[in-house]
Amino acid sequence: MPRKVEFTDTEFMIVQGARLIEDGKTLFVGWGIPQVVAMLAQRLYVPNVTQLFEFGAVGPRPVLPFVRGTMGGPQNTYRSLQWLNMNWAFSFSAAGYMDYGMLGAAQVDPYGNINSTCLGGTFEKPERRFAGSGGGNQVASHCWKTIIIMKHEGRRFVPKLDFLTSPGYLDGPGAREKAGLPRGTGPYRVVTSKGLFGFDGESRRMTLLSVLRGIPVREVLDGMAFRPLLADPVGEADPPTEEELRVLREEIDPGRFIIRGERML
Amino acid sequence: MKEKEIRAEGNVEYRFTHPDDFREHVRDRKGRNPASKLCSAGEAVETFVRDGDYIVYDFSSLTRGPQALVREVIRQRRKDLWIGAEFTLHESSLLVGAGCASRIDVGFLGYGNYIGRAVCAGRVRVYEWTNGGLALRILAGARGVPFLPSRDLLGSDNMKVSAARTIEDPYTGGPVCVVPALNPDVAFLHVHQADETGNARIFGTNLFALEAALASFRVVVSAEEIIETDEFRKDPMRTTIPFFLVDAVVHAPFGAYPGAMPARYEIDLDHVDRLNSLDTDERMRAYLEENVYSVSDHEEFLDRRVGAKRMRDLRRRATIVEGYR
Repeated sequence: MPRKVEFTDTEFMIVQGARLIEDGKTLFVGWGIPQVVAMLAQRLYVPNVTQLFEFGAVGPRPVLPFVRGTMGGPQNTYRSLQWLNMNWAFSFSAAGYMDYGMLGAAQVDPYGNINSTCLGGTFEKPERRFAGSGGGNQVASHCWKTIIIMKHEGRRFVPKLDFLTSPGYLDGPGAREKAGLPRGTGPYRVVTSKGLFGFDGESRRMTLLSVLRGIPVREVLDGMAFRPLLADPVGEADPPTEEELRVLREEIDPGRFIIRGERML
Repeated sequence: MKEKEIRAEGNVEYRFTHPDDFREHVRDRKGRNPASKLCSAGEAVETFVRDGDYIVYDFSSLTRGPQALVREVIRQRRKDLWIGAEFTLHESSLLVGAGCASRIDVGFLGYGNYIGRAVCAGRVRVYEWTNGGLALRILAGARGVPFLPSRDLLGSDNMKVSAARTIEDPYTGGPVCVVPALNPDVAFLHVHQADETGNARIFGTNLFALEAALASFRVVVSAEEIIETDEFRKDPMRTTIPFFLVDAVVHAPFGAYPGAMPARYEIDLDHVDRLNSLDTDERMRAYLEENVYSVSDHEEFLDRRVGAKRMRDLRRRATIVEGYR
């Protein structure tokens, strides 16, 4: 029996994300948490992954610890293979060179459509306004496999989004292709602070694949405004290892600006 | 010619110039003579920025943004500006808070509470083109074509709150997104080095610096350093923008402050924290009074509000120079 290690829900979320990336592939990295996920993945598991930032940093090896806010600054674009600009960055994704994309979301629906624009009210006068697409729409439209990463709060899982910022499977099988989006693309996983979701191959609906070991499935489903499909069986995800936590806490985010959160287990 | 079906379309206002109108402006009004265009930020804004203008800039308030020029626009109290903002971080808050901007095409709309509240209160109109959509619009403006197609935005609500359209692709017959060319009135570009005529160098990544310089009616370059034209001829691979796209050159050391200028100086995080904390009109007014209205120009701002000691410290902290020269 390994001894129990304390960790936060955010740390678990980041670690789950980092375990998903395959080595030798390309990863279009969104702003914020995805940057930290990419750093941890590259540092521990996938040394040969090539990151791409939307303003044209190709293959950066960001300086640790992580510097927040300034994705375009010298620390985050350090030791890139190439420095370009936005039209070229989206060329890499549009032409099919980006295997994975990773994005945050304020709301997500059963087909993996993302809202990162606004909540409540109308678009013109919403109750809450967020950053909007940025390059998220391009990432979700172009990348072969899009990974959504978000805190597991039930109210964020809704049957219908307040605003569809970045496309998942839209309203079901074949809808992306019908809309003119590139064939064979779409959301791949939804990584949360409690579990991991995929998408059913036929219905394209969100499917609970695994939950953090020790958490009952009903706790993960609780509060979600739609009921996802359940894998048979729903698996158990390992909590963060001591090594994962050490790299996160000592090398990537010693100020604990990103990784703080609710304490788990 | 086959009639194109318009399959989905937002019914919102958008900035558009016929490519021939832009070409004629270039023919008649853009100088090809490599004369000195050196002037102060005050003169550049006075001459080249008008009420109601559409303005774009490159990059962000945290990294290599044209902050000295933005402050000058606020100081000269321009009105009813429309901002094309891929990364609008604090710029939009300040320009909206100062009553200068009334419309924003985004992009990425951040930071802090002020701009979010302004949107929720209906004080500023926002249109969602996405970063890729705006970059493509500027590229279309730079290429002299009325629109360019792409395979994003499709199926999303951004189509409803922008003037992007879904049309039938004449080659495959499938649906494709098109976005209209964007030819801004003014582009602000803060660069590492420029000569007096407007040849300019940016080191590091950018959003759409060359596209914006090509596509804009008037281009104002502010530079950390003014160098000789001969330096460009010795190393032409490093030129970002050639002189004949540029209308004004402003020598503005620390022109990206409080943001960072890669390899020159770091972000002033204390100042950025203050910007992030501007959540009410009262705080906004106090900030603008202290940092913009109460000083006559960028030089006085640096001298009296930033100070030599802080600038020295920010320069010292810019330790990563690899890749930037």
